[in-house]
Amino acid sequence: MNGGVSEGLSGDVSGGAGSITGGAGRTGSLAERWYVPAEIQALRVWIPFAALVNLIVLAGEALRGGGSAQLGALGGMVLLVMLWWWLPDGRRRWRRTVGRGLAAAMLVLGALSLLQRDASFYDLWATSWLVAPSALALYWLSAGLSGSWCAGASDARSAELGLTRNRRLGPRLETFALHTFLLHAVAIVVAPVVWIVDVSISPGNILGGAIGDAFTLEHFRVVLGGETFWLWTRNSMIVALGTTLVGLLLAIPAGYAFSRYRFAGSKGAMFVFMLVQMFPGIIILVPYFMVMKTLGLLNTSIGLIIAYSVTALPLCVWMLKGFFDAVPRALEEAALLDGCTQVGVFFFVVLPLSLPAVAITALFSFLTAWNEFLLALVFNTSNDSYTLPVGLASMIPATGQLWGDFAAASIVVSIPVVVLFVLFQRALIQGLSAGGVKG
Amino acid sequence: MRSAALASAGVCGTVAVAGRRVARYAGTAGLLLCSAAAGVHAQQVSVDDAAQAYRQIHIDVDYAPDEAIAGFEIRYASQAFETTGDAELHSTVRVADTADLERVPDDAVFERCWSNGLPIHRDGAGNPVVSPDASNWSCALTGMAPGVEQWIAVVTVGADGAPLVDPERLQPVVGRTDVPDERTPPPDTRPVLFALGMVILSAIVLLAFLRWQDARRGRSKSRLAHIYVAPALIALATLTFYPILYGMWLAFTNADQSRLGDEAWIGLANFAAVFASSGLWRVTLFTFVWAVSNVFAHVFLGLVLAVALNRRGLRGRTVYRTILLLPWAIPGYISVLAWNGMLQPDGLANALLGTAIDFFAGAGSARVVVILVNIWLGVPFMMMVLSGALQALPSNMYEAAEIDGVSRWDQFRYLTFPNLKGTLVPVSLLSFIWTFNSFNTIYLLTRGNPYVGFGEPGATDTLITHVFAVAFEYGRYGVAAAWSVLIFLMLIGFSWLYLRRTGAMEAAT
Repeated sequence: MNGGVSEGLSGDVSGGAGSITGGAGRTGSLAERWYVPAEIQALRVWIPFAALVNLIVLAGEALRGGGSAQLGALGGMVLLVMLWWWLPDGRRRWRRTVGRGLAAAMLVLGALSLLQRDASFYDLWATSWLVAPSALALYWLSAGLSGSWCAGASDARSAELGLTRNRRLGPRLETFALHTFLLHAVAIVVAPVVWIVDVSISPGNILGGAIGDAFTLEHFRVVLGGETFWLWTRNSMIVALGTTLVGLLLAIPAGYAFSRYRFAGSKGAMFVFMLVQMFPGIIILVPYFMVMKTLGLLNTSIGLIIAYSVTALPLCVWMLKGFFDAVPRALEEAALLDGCTQVGVFFFVVLPLSLPAVAITALFSFLTAWNEFLLALVFNTSNDSYTLPVGLASMIPATGQLWGDFAAASIVVSIPVVVLFVLFQRALIQGLSAGGVKG
Repeated sequence: MRSAALASAGVCGTVAVAGRRVARYAGTAGLLLCSAAAGVHAQQVSVDDAAQAYRQIHIDVDYAPDEAIAGFEIRYASQAFETTGDAELHSTVRVADTADLERVPDDAVFERCWSNGLPIHRDGAGNPVVSPDASNWSCALTGMAPGVEQWIAVVTVGADGAPLVDPERLQPVVGRTDVPDERTPPPDTRPVLFALGMVILSAIVLLAFLRWQDARRGRSKSRLAHIYVAPALIALATLTFYPILYGMWLAFTNADQSRLGDEAWIGLANFAAVFASSGLWRVTLFTFVWAVSNVFAHVFLGLVLAVALNRRGLRGRTVYRTILLLPWAIPGYISVLAWNGMLQPDGLANALLGTAIDFFAGAGSARVVVILVNIWLGVPFMMMVLSGALQALPSNMYEAAEIDGVSRWDQFRYLTFPNLKGTLVPVSLLSFIWTFNSFNTIYLLTRGNPYVGFGEPGATDTLITHVFAVAFEYGRYGVAAAWSVLIFLMLIGFSWLYLRRTGAMEAAT
């Protein structure tokens, strides 16, 4: 900030020395240092982003191979960079003229490419990233307080007024940019979801086509009316519930011991539990498969339950340790003084208090087992023993590629999982960071 | 997938039923031999060598549905024949309305047959029945002597039982099965059970020893601790440490699909095979490119989104956060398959662009696409972790900075980022390891394709998906175990280097 002040002063001095036009010039120079309209500040940040988006559009046009549209995007990008380079500084008037010229050229370019392109969603989006920045720049460079600042015509009074205005306008513009950015992120995130819903309600197995152009429930009828889907659901349910139960039975006592006791080997054991999480699954995959094959546990739920409950075990132990750490020790000590045994303390004091935490850990291991793909793929070779992930994936390479049925089944499978996840997101993330991340 | 369909469709226009992992190795699925008996009711019979089994020959039959066809007779002989009289009747498949019949599962019958890829319908007597509008069925013909060629013909018969094709001019197909009897001997479970027993025993002994040590030191409070830890530790020992050691041992043996329980020690031959394979450096390089680019994008985008969401007074924060969490909440395999569909030549991405590009066809574009999809999947996790870390930062720090007129960028650069380093280092390592080990995205998008060469990793194969292919598509368990050991060493080496460079050993341990 200090640097800014001294620069402003020196700029003022040099302005004074260089020209004898008088007060307006000097205050203009001073205003340039002290006051930059929020609009111009915004343009300084936004234009590079707009240029970046036009670069992406350029890549899209290169895929498309449309020559004139490529030129449009390239031209837009170049003009944006030039505009950014010559943005008005509140002193040199020519910059405003140049800036307005560039913005106007971009606007024309945008209008032309809008006429050239089809009126598809993508095209509208692509041109709007040319039209909107140029229109905004043109407006802000021409009109209002920022316009006169660009012309180098702002004096001390208008700078003072502008500073007050900046305080209000700056955050607003920032919020606008933030929402624009987040909406783009949301669009990218939501696209597959919208697509899958569309495919599930479109007749046949059409992958493209307009969104929401036809409606049918045939895929849901086929999937929910058939036997295989329910068979896979049953398998998944057995495996996930079994995993949760076995995993918790193993993890709760261990997590409690790590949380409460310091015993010989406790540090080593905790380190081992953390290290195991980092092991590549693939190194266990082949031996697992061979052991399960030897023991005849392929194509059974038991094999998967054993494998899952052990792979999820380390994280569960760490999660539970984190949760148990949060239960105050004073309660236990009080119970011990009242004559409760150590085992009794665990069952009657700690466990009831940490039931929500146990539930979160249970949900976590349930979701892990419910969504696991690789082990299920390797362990299950017959259609009847598939879990949902393997079953759903098998619908795609099958002859005819049952995209519609797959989409319908996916929606049925995802909804409960997503609802559970969203409802308990905070607790899940808290548990995860207590377990895996902070480690 | 597509290439498989094309390759087999080229011969006689039939698509053979073959195992579900045939994918890019369609070439090995067996040569299809066809026969078209002269006449209107011609049908095409092909022998599927990929599906052969002990004393079984698998045939696929394709034909044009016709009301005149009342059934099929399968005839076979151990030499060439032309007339029905020279061949024995093996079995029959009846054509009838199947609405009231059941599909009997494969394992419930001796003679297995399928229609539309599902077990065939059977009548009350257990005989196979195919519906009148079907145009194909297939059967595994049992009782075929192994190692000898068999001539097989399928004769369509009318309602009166008379052949609809000329019974004197049959053109049988030749098939043989060379599969040795796999049912004998049943796998010997004793070594595995013995090893598991030993592992459990040593875990118990270790715990007992530690407990004794505690007791000697007079730490009576923790006397229950070892018992609490015992179940988890024993489970971990038997199901994680034992398989890891077993896997390391497998790396030095000739274990493969046909050998189970009688692997022999072959020294470093598997490692030699790994180092001799031409794709080793390419696939290793791609794996690192894949993991590093993913982690960079995850951390960068996660951080940007976390900072954006963390802005004070942001309206709709909960809504944004919930939606942006979706890639994490939706089961991963479903979103990957959805992207697979969207990126098909007739998918949504192309519909939006108005093009018909096959993103998975070229090596370069396929690599970019798998990385982009995985970035989509992984950002929310990073976003949430960093959001949590951001919220834990004291807000008065920023208030002070604001009063001092520190710009937003400088606030991020000098306040936020250094304070996040403690979270970023371990999380990015974890993310690296997860991405390095991830399998679903590549398997469900490309299966490692585009194809490069037989036995070589495909253009988008990472080490992990390649090991999967070596183990479960080629059945070379020993070589796969050797790859696994190398991967393990690579990961340990990388993690160690990373933690040393970032000086975060303490943060991680």
